[in-house]
Amino acid sequence: MNKLSNDALVEVKNLKTYFYIEEGVVKAVDGVDYEIYPGETLGIVGESGCGKSVTSLSIMRLVESPPGKIEAGEIKFGGRDLTKIPEKEMRKIRGNDISMIFQEPMTSLNPVYTVGDQIMEAIMLHKKVDRKEAKRQAIEMLTKVGIPLPEQRVDEYPHQLSGGMRQRVMIAMALSCDPQLLIADEPTTALDVTIQAQILELMNSLKESYGMSIMMITHDLGVIAEVSDRVAVMYAGKVVEYTDVDTLFDDPKHPYTWGLMNSIPKLDKDVDRLEAIPGSVPSPLDFPEGCKFNTRCPLAEGKCYEQEPPLEEAAAGHKVRCWRYQDLEEIKKRGERIYADRGVQN
Amino acid sequence: MAENLLEVKNLKKYFPVKAGVFKKTVAHVKAVDDISFAVKEGETLGLVGESGCGKSTTGRTILRLLEATAGEIIFKGENILSYDRKQMRKLRKEMQIIFQDPYASLNPRMTVGDIVGEAIDLHNLAENKKERNEMVRELLEKVGLGSEYMQRYPHEFSGGQRQRIGVARALAVDPKLIIADEPVSALDVSVQAQVVNLLQDLQKEFGLTFLFIAHDLSVVKHISDRVAVMYLGKIVELTDKHDLYNNPKHPYTQSLLSAIPEADPKKKKERIILEGDVPSPVDPPSGCRFHPRCPKAFAKCSELEPEFKEYGDGHFAACHLLEE
Repeated sequence: MNKLSNDALVEVKNLKTYFYIEEGVVKAVDGVDYEIYPGETLGIVGESGCGKSVTSLSIMRLVESPPGKIEAGEIKFGGRDLTKIPEKEMRKIRGNDISMIFQEPMTSLNPVYTVGDQIMEAIMLHKKVDRKEAKRQAIEMLTKVGIPLPEQRVDEYPHQLSGGMRQRVMIAMALSCDPQLLIADEPTTALDVTIQAQILELMNSLKESYGMSIMMITHDLGVIAEVSDRVAVMYAGKVVEYTDVDTLFDDPKHPYTWGLMNSIPKLDKDVDRLEAIPGSVPSPLDFPEGCKFNTRCPLAEGKCYEQEPPLEEAAAGHKVRCWRYQDLEEIKKRGERIYADRGVQN
Repeated sequence: MAENLLEVKNLKKYFPVKAGVFKKTVAHVKAVDDISFAVKEGETLGLVGESGCGKSTTGRTILRLLEATAGEIIFKGENILSYDRKQMRKLRKEMQIIFQDPYASLNPRMTVGDIVGEAIDLHNLAENKKERNEMVRELLEKVGLGSEYMQRYPHEFSGGQRQRIGVARALAVDPKLIIADEPVSALDVSVQAQVVNLLQDLQKEFGLTFLFIAHDLSVVKHISDRVAVMYLGKIVELTDKHDLYNNPKHPYTQSLLSAIPEADPKKKKERIILEGDVPSPVDPPSGCRFHPRCPKAFAKCSELEPEFKEYGDGHFAACHLLEE
């Protein structure tokens, strides 16, 4: 993978985004590092509340402040630190160099403007073109994202389109200024599986033709396997495992990643029982001492309750945040289940 | 062979579309349009399909939470559509439902003890308060929640725990049939597995029969014995789960299976990408309802509706291609 040897397009270093609310401080993102290289797709996977969406909002500087605040860290993009530049410059980057699509295309589109108006708004804001040219480009974008009858659709309102079509419009809007990075936050979660397949295929082919990078945020390991080059697994505001997609699925080193993979049923493999991770994600106001996964981890012992493990390079290009990943390796070799079957226990 | 616990025959559920000053019925949403299937005692039948295919309406119509437009629902040999209110109330002890949204389906002002105990009270299943509380305690333990939770309120629980409370409530009346309507789709991935395992354990312990409704084919395949695939108000295919996965006969099932992203980056699947969207059930396509999106459709498909019939060993499907 020679493309990974290029300079990173985005470099996130020790990013901390906290929310100061009445009940205390929510450390939504708490020291996250990753890079996105030109032309690659970085998958970010994790469950609700792990901080995967807040990381992306931090890159776009869309975290509402107050209560949110980027507390520390750097987000390097094209030689600049996005956490430091003035809002006016950030606005030029947003929608032009970095764009974003969201889970709910209906709530992200303005219901009182036609889809054409909304795509044209982005084009006219960032490129010096007149209305007529903007409309021509909008129609061209709609064609590229596979919307039938684009000349007609351009004058329709969001409610006249289906969920899949709306997500296509969102993608057209996001790509209208030819961004270097597209952040996709659960773009297919609200869609049916046959429509999801259409959208993922579209994103993959557009990525090729535009040569852009994608940051794909999802809870669905299937989507991750499908589109990512590299993956960051997040848990409780931290990256717990970070490597290329094949290695991650072949050789997951963090007990959480292992648990996630074994807790989903596979179509081509029959198991009697799923390996469920016990308990649930702790409240961000009440994270445990030491490793944040220790409340649910079957391997947790002494040190895990006292000291937070670092994100350590376990093998070349494979980072993991766990004190006991080598012990996990042994258990995997013996072919045992890690999450012991505890029957109907919590 | 186990007996059929539930038989659904030619079930239809139409919702009127009203318009104008006099609220005249101008059309019907044919949410469920002539479907038939049976659920055997002790088995899990999965009902799978995309949004708007009528799978939830089917579940609710079976429980008579919605009144059927036509057809028969035969439970333990009797057509329950002819039951009056009183008979129905008794029957509800035998059939229970678990809902998708564990946040909306529990009364926020009731304690967990009362939520689970309400059905015990209604059906007079306990002699006195002490016995009732003992039953509630036992139920909570069965679903993996300690009895110390009895005095707590739903907001104090996580999504997975709430779904366990919903399961305990369904179990309280010792039902035969449980209709589980997307019971894990609102839960986090790691918690989904807990609830799926719980349902399987309880099925073994109490000999329950499940109608498991979901859009996620992997989960449905894992938990079910047989699977029925719905598309736009119709069942298009019904068979044993292994057969469905290894030998899908209907083009819709084939594309549905191929569309699922699998958690294996090395496996590059031959995708059958369907064109367009699911049409509106108000004005469904003529002939086979899948024909406008079907990659294999031919002339006959738009003219004649294919019959839902058996193609060997309990494998049912509705497709003209199979008749050739």
